[in-house]
Amino acid sequence: MTKRLTGISLAAVLIVGAVRAALAASDYTPVTDERLANPEPQNWLMTRGSYKGWSYSPLDQINSGNVKGLVPVWAVSTGVDSGHEAPPIVNNGVMFVATPYSQVMALNAATGDLLWRYRRKLPEGFSALHNTSRGVALYGDKVYLPGLDAVLVALDARTGNVAWEAKVEDWKQGYYMTMAPLIVKGKVLVGVSGGEFGVRGFIEAFDAETGKSVWKTYTIPAPGEPGSETWQKPDTWKTGGGAAWMTGNYDPDANIVYWGVGNGSPWFGDQRPGDNLYTSSTLALDGDTGKIKGHFQYHQNESWDWDAMNAPMLVDFAKDGGTVKGLLSPQRSGYLYWLQRDNDGGISYINAERYVPQNVFKEIDKNGRPVVDMDHKPGTGRVAQFCPGLWGGKDWPYEAYSPKTGMVYIPANENHCNKFEGKVEERVPGQWWTGVAIPDFHFSVDTKAGFYGEIKTYDVNTGKPGWRQLYSKSMMWGSLLTTGGNLVFGGGTNDREFRAYDASTGEELWHFRTNSGIQAPPSTFEVNGVQYVAVASGYGVDPAFQQQLLGDLLGWQKDVPQGGVVWVFAVGK
Amino acid sequence: MAQCSRPCLRGVGRRGVLATGLVVAPALLRPAFADDPAALPPQPGDRFAHLTGPRKGQVVADGDLPLGGPQVQAYPIDIKSGLVRDQSRLNLVILARFDPATLSAETRARAADGVVAYSGVCTHQGCAVNMWVTSKSALYCSCHGSTYDPRDGAAVIAGPAPRSLPSLALATADEAPFVTGGFSGHVGPTQQ
Repeated sequence: MTKRLTGISLAAVLIVGAVRAALAASDYTPVTDERLANPEPQNWLMTRGSYKGWSYSPLDQINSGNVKGLVPVWAVSTGVDSGHEAPPIVNNGVMFVATPYSQVMALNAATGDLLWRYRRKLPEGFSALHNTSRGVALYGDKVYLPGLDAVLVALDARTGNVAWEAKVEDWKQGYYMTMAPLIVKGKVLVGVSGGEFGVRGFIEAFDAETGKSVWKTYTIPAPGEPGSETWQKPDTWKTGGGAAWMTGNYDPDANIVYWGVGNGSPWFGDQRPGDNLYTSSTLALDGDTGKIKGHFQYHQNESWDWDAMNAPMLVDFAKDGGTVKGLLSPQRSGYLYWLQRDNDGGISYINAERYVPQNVFKEIDKNGRPVVDMDHKPGTGRVAQFCPGLWGGKDWPYEAYSPKTGMVYIPANENHCNKFEGKVEERVPGQWWTGVAIPDFHFSVDTKAGFYGEIKTYDVNTGKPGWRQLYSKSMMWGSLLTTGGNLVFGGGTNDREFRAYDASTGEELWHFRTNSGIQAPPSTFEVNGVQYVAVASGYGVDPAFQQQLLGDLLGWQKDVPQGGVVWVFAVGK
Repeated sequence: MAQCSRPCLRGVGRRGVLATGLVVAPALLRPAFADDPAALPPQPGDRFAHLTGPRKGQVVADGDLPLGGPQVQAYPIDIKSGLVRDQSRLNLVILARFDPATLSAETRARAADGVVAYSGVCTHQGCAVNMWVTSKSALYCSCHGSTYDPRDGAAVIAGPAPRSLPSLALATADEAPFVTGGFSGHVGPTQQ
């Protein structure tokens, strides 16, 4: 039953020029482990909707039959520019939206009333490659925001007041944080960004109540630890990258956390000989201790900036006449992986399909290890072209899975490449240290291609491709949402559109032109018996940079207006 | 160690050793505060200490700067005490050298023998402007591609930066540039 918000206290308190209307204690429902493991359909309690990471809601009031009547019911400006990449998180009528620059807005999800706002003051001289936020996490009566400056902030969900702060790392070394935390049994799990700055990635768990560190697991083993033999050159592990910059998924039954790991640092594998575990891998971690229980490395000695940052979705699928507990992951490398997970954290390879053209892997062997075409592997002083380019077959935007259709929906890009070579560079903490300067990326596209961005779909049981949506004049940078109403929602194109597709056929059923380009994941929720769909529109960071390049290459309009707005839609009466 | 025929710092660390061999007291290795001389913005008379490269920590001389670019990263240094003002990221400076005839009149007026100095902190999001676009002979930000013309007051010629990089007025002595005034404008971005 949806809790009503009619009792919201709007006792406004003027704080630093901002109006704050604290929620009355009775108007906020604490978030529990049980609720996170079994989220109510009317809520969107975490970034991807559930621990399985499906980006799916069973709500079906808005469906393929009535979505044409979807209209905006309220909107709010975030007041900031740059790439908005956080979904509206909703807990019984209270919405929390994180924005770039480490800010959080709390809103009445039905009316749009602003309840409170948190603006983090970033340190003098601070900078981050990606100044975005990919969302907050909820637990108990708190809201958890990973600050860009590598400080985890716990806010009182009712007031926005800071409950505690915990330093995660030293931002001056190049560490920063953009992902949404993952809550696991009273702990707040975060991972760090900074792969382009030569950090050593890690995932750390903090006590949700006190902010004290509970465990910390590096993505790159120190000498003597399992996997350290894959770092053959002394000391390269210290600056080896492996950022953990996206949120993990979780199997509560097995108490296993699945977390994605980025590429190696610097980018050129010949500067760090060996397979370089656990770069470009999925890690399986014990939820209590952070101990690495298993892993799967998608490709070795990474040299293409193809992070494996997205944790795989926990999807069970057909195999050999039965059903296996699986992991499904469309990787930045352009391959879609079917993996099997066991209760001890083991991950085994089943199959992989190329979902966009790719010229690097000649084949993938029976253990899931690709055979690399060295002509397409850039190295130090060795130029190579590779396709897809460094932004990959897909970048971080979330794929979605619908248990109703049995299909996975992938926001993908193709017909683009990069061509470059590496240099040995001196590292300055906090500065770009990849071995190649951005002006030397030599990004290219097939100028005769009929499309660049797309949604690509597969039947997870048969592996057969399904419908496609092709975008002839845009890349695709939008996370997708599937619903019980047989719909797929997503933005991601440079024309500022937010769209709904029939999940079975791919037919575009509805669209709405927003203020800016949409990179953020949509979410859906219900308040007082009314289903809403919400999304933040606000273009920036990599899509905006890439759009500049495409303006030169294809004549596309370079200026996609920036500035964030949260849109909330419902079916008109 | 080779003898210095021009102003230099021998074996200098981040916080300074003088050419005379005077070691700056370790007590200086403390957290930066607003009144910390190592966090103060460039002061008149300051020279520049290389941030990277074979002359890391040594004073930047005109001859260290390749004619026509690219830029060199540095922090201001108080030549008398050997103190490097590297305790604020906002003090990062980029230096480059050009034929004075190729500089705009305003830029030439602030340059010294063709050497120009700008804040190395991008006015967009505060990242280091430490890359170089050979085809445009321009300064390039390492985060989001803002591109600045070093011959024309670091005016923005591409990318998202809202304004030019602040410059430092320079003079030269002993074939090395030094600061004659403060930054020409606000350094770095303005947080939203």
